[in-house]
Amino acid sequence: MPHFLMAQAVEKNTLVLGVKYYNDNNAAQHLVISAKSKIDGKFQKIGNIAVKVFITNDSNKNNFIGAGITSERGEFILFIPPSAKTEWVKSPTQNFIAISAANKLYEEARAETTITKAKIKIDTADGKIVNAKLFIKVDTSWQPMAGVEMVLAVKRLDGNLNISETATYTSDSAGAISGEFKRDSLPGDQKGNLILVANIIDNDVYGNVAAEIMVPWGKPLVYTTNYNHRSLFARRGHSPIWLELLAYGIILLVWAVIIYLGFQIRNIIKLGLD
Amino acid sequence: MDKLKEDKIIADLLPQEFGKQGRIWVICLLFFAALGVFAYGRQLYYGLEVTAMRDYASWGIYISNFVFFVAISLVGSLITAVLRLTNVKWSTPLTRIAEIIAVSAITFASLIIIVDMGRPERFYNLFLHGRLQSPIIWDVIVITTYFFISLLLLYFPLLPDLKIMIGFKERNGKWLQKLYEFLGSFWKNTKAQFKITDKAINILAIAIIPVAFSIHTVTSWLFATTYRPGWDSTNFGAYFISGAFLVGAGGVVVAMYIFRTHYKLEKYITNDHFDRMGKVLVLLALLYLYFNFNEFLVPAFKMKKSEEEHLLGLFTGEFAPIFWFAIFTSMFIPIFILLFKKGRRPLPAFIAGILVVVGSWFKRFLIVTPTLLHPFLPMHDVPANYHHYIPTWEEWAIAGGSLAGALLVITFFARIFPIIPIHETIIETESLENEKHF
Amino acid sequence: MSQNTRRDFIASSLVAGVTLAGCATKNPFTAEEIPDVKPSGEMVKLLSVDGEIIEVDKAFLKPVPALPASMNTIEREGIAGKKFAMVIDLSRCKSVKKCQTACNHMHHIHPGQNWIKVYPMQDAEHTAPYWQPTTCMHCDEPPCVKVCPVDATFKRKDGIVLIDSDRCIGCRFCMAACPYSSRVFNWEEPKIEKEIADKPYSCETSVPQKVGTVGKCDFCPDMVRQGNLPHCVSACPNGVFFFGDILEDTVTNGSETFRFSELIKDKAGYRLMEDLGTKPSVYYLPPVNRNFPFENKVESVVEEKKA
Ligand code: SF4
Ligand code: SF4
Repeated sequence: MPHFLMAQAVEKNTLVLGVKYYNDNNAAQHLVISAKSKIDGKFQKIGNIAVKVFITNDSNKNNFIGAGITSERGEFILFIPPSAKTEWVKSPTQNFIAISAANKLYEEARAETTITKAKIKIDTADGKIVNAKLFIKVDTSWQPMAGVEMVLAVKRLDGNLNISETATYTSDSAGAISGEFKRDSLPGDQKGNLILVANIIDNDVYGNVAAEIMVPWGKPLVYTTNYNHRSLFARRGHSPIWLELLAYGIILLVWAVIIYLGFQIRNIIKLGLD
Repeated sequence: MDKLKEDKIIADLLPQEFGKQGRIWVICLLFFAALGVFAYGRQLYYGLEVTAMRDYASWGIYISNFVFFVAISLVGSLITAVLRLTNVKWSTPLTRIAEIIAVSAITFASLIIIVDMGRPERFYNLFLHGRLQSPIIWDVIVITTYFFISLLLLYFPLLPDLKIMIGFKERNGKWLQKLYEFLGSFWKNTKAQFKITDKAINILAIAIIPVAFSIHTVTSWLFATTYRPGWDSTNFGAYFISGAFLVGAGGVVVAMYIFRTHYKLEKYITNDHFDRMGKVLVLLALLYLYFNFNEFLVPAFKMKKSEEEHLLGLFTGEFAPIFWFAIFTSMFIPIFILLFKKGRRPLPAFIAGILVVVGSWFKRFLIVTPTLLHPFLPMHDVPANYHHYIPTWEEWAIAGGSLAGALLVITFFARIFPIIPIHETIIETESLENEKHF
Repeated sequence: MSQNTRRDFIASSLVAGVTLAGCATKNPFTAEEIPDVKPSGEMVKLLSVDGEIIEVDKAFLKPVPALPASMNTIEREGIAGKKFAMVIDLSRCKSVKKCQTACNHMHHIHPGQNWIKVYPMQDAEHTAPYWQPTTCMHCDEPPCVKVCPVDATFKRKDGIVLIDSDRCIGCRFCMAACPYSSRVFNWEEPKIEKEIADKPYSCETSVPQKVGTVGKCDFCPDMVRQGNLPHCVSACPNGVFFFGDILEDTVTNGSETFRFSELIKDKAGYRLMEDLGTKPSVYYLPPVNRNFPFENKVESVVEEKKA
């Protein structure tokens, strides 16, 4: 028996939680909570971990702002709810804490991130110039911030395309950056609109902050699809006309003969019964 | 013609009960068929896992068996239609043999294709969601059509014989009598009725040729519509049809010999028949050989990179033994045997026929599998057993079972119906005698 | 969402109207309107950075936390206004095979089988060996779709070729037709946990795989719908895979984003087996300037272990 018991005491893995702060358009603020663990010497994303999230500190029950379970990709998104307001307005910097309880496989884990509130204003000027300004919260007012690396990009599916060869811009004393849009005839939406983004990515102090603006600098997209066209690879009922004519023609012809012969059998039967 | 002679013909050609040999034959076939059913039960339960097919060799002997069945079923049209339309009289006693081979082969072709499906219970999707663009749908359509036409072609000439059969009430027993009456009690041998059947048979003889060509052409397109080396050929339809005629004719020779010796039909299936069929066989074998040359020599001359591996695999590699076996048994040796007058006597012709059939079966295997094992991108990132294809016992049992099933259908048909058309034989003997009188 | 943006939007659409008029190209295909994202009517309360409480329609919240399960008919049509493409940079591939692991894991593929294969290639005796990962090419003229008798594999509006395992009859014609050997078959009951096997099947997640049907790379449309990259793209540590919408002319591997047309032009991108006319949606960048050796770590040993 003791042998068996010993086998039961499996060593639990350490779980590493992560908290990232996102501020999109100065409005939709959210956190991305992730979980990973070292398995066979490599970090792997861990799904199905229940995580509780607190603002400021986790000692006060009122500071609980939400919970979630990590997906198969080892993360989940938590939008910062209105209930966090009291804590949020208290100070220009905020703490977010993620905690997971111990389970069968993993030890309990905890992660913390501290951010300073920041927002970006984005605007455009003649000659396809994109201007953006970074403000951070100092006490109760928004002040421009210098020396922060920012990116100017066009919003695309799953990733943003820089507006020019310049990868990053650093804000000047007025908190401003400026870049020229050089993606000529980049397809936009059907009206030719592009969404430009100015953002700070994974900054230690500010987290992820982004601001968007829509500009008509793109090439209008003429969306065409051959989905409803007849072709050999189209779906049922969309085969090429020549094929349908050919096939149905042959089928009709041959089956007309077969049916005709069926009637002939009937005629034979009739003759026999007379 | 006097009544005595007619009675003699009828007595000779009436279906007979199974003798001892017949029973053993049937029991053997039943055993193999049952084994096939059992193996299929296992396949249904465990999935296609029980076969040796894997991601590369994704089609195996089921499909080659399918092609074989479709091929052999083409013979119905050859013997009945082609020879009839060209006014060849000597083929009359062979028509029914050919037609029943066609019907049973096409039936088992459709069964074996269901066996090959991963989800046979979804068969109805073919009708619910069928896409006209897919060659499989074409195949479903033409095979059904061919089945019905063959059935009709079997049925019309049977009518006068049914009347004869119905006359032997005592001999038939209750069940058979009922069957005959159900099928043909209305046949009265009137002129008007004969007029209809003659016309119907002529129409069928014409209609069956394009349909027969389509079943096999479409079957060849299952392969030729893909890009794969060995299949990507414009020659494929003709290549398949010539091969089908060959194996079908071989099958008929085999069946002729067996019926002849078993039912003592030497007077009706004569040495002359073997002689003529032997010549037909040589002709067809040469034709098939011609297409084989085209199929292999032309790409081998160029040796495109994608084809090279495939062709070398056949000529000198992994599949070389089967390849040369199939080429020799299905073409060279039969041609050699049948070129001699002595070779066209019943027994040697029978042996040649068997060689053709066996060789052709392996030829179908070679059409399907080696190509799949030579994909464009090298075989990679798969378990080692995915690199080869050696059929499992379940596959052999199912394939064997389907062959046994087809033979059972033929056997039972011969037990129930006269395998040589009685009525037509009488007419023909009559006209022959009349010719002699003049 | 902010006032600022809205004002700009109105101004910009005027300009856009002018541009549009000057650009009437002849096109063989009919142009279609892309349906706009419609408000769901379901409002979510959020906290803004200024500490105000704002209401946002759920449909405009990006990334959307959880997407309702799509219906089969919608999954068959695909996402209008998109045309997905992939770029695989051979100069970066070291056969780490993280893509494969991630793909197998996320799609619960039968052990031993792979949707992504990483081929050691050497085109001729004196040419350099390189690694070539392959996915389904999501061909624009897909031979596999041509031959499927029951519409179980189909081409969508967004260019993705998917499989409906609830409809597939397992004839394996598509496997014979695919020149890229990208399809695998579930020869036996897939070995997956009960929990996953019990999930309702979706063409977009390709989970759970079903016995007697085919499977293959699906370009992860479920991920794309959620604003995520396909599993292989985000799993590759060397950034070999780029994914994107060709209509946006952009591809990204998560950390780098390129203009698709420029990338293909600058690096001389190509597609596999162009001569077959399948028109793949997967592009390759040639294996040039590699600063790592090509090490084929005894492939046969690995394969024997799997068997
Ligand atoms: S790569 Fe193969 S499976 Fe994928 S779309 Fe092309 S033909 Fe079909
Ligand atoms: S195996 Fe399934 S997906 Fe492939 S062709 Fe057959 S029915 Fe279509």
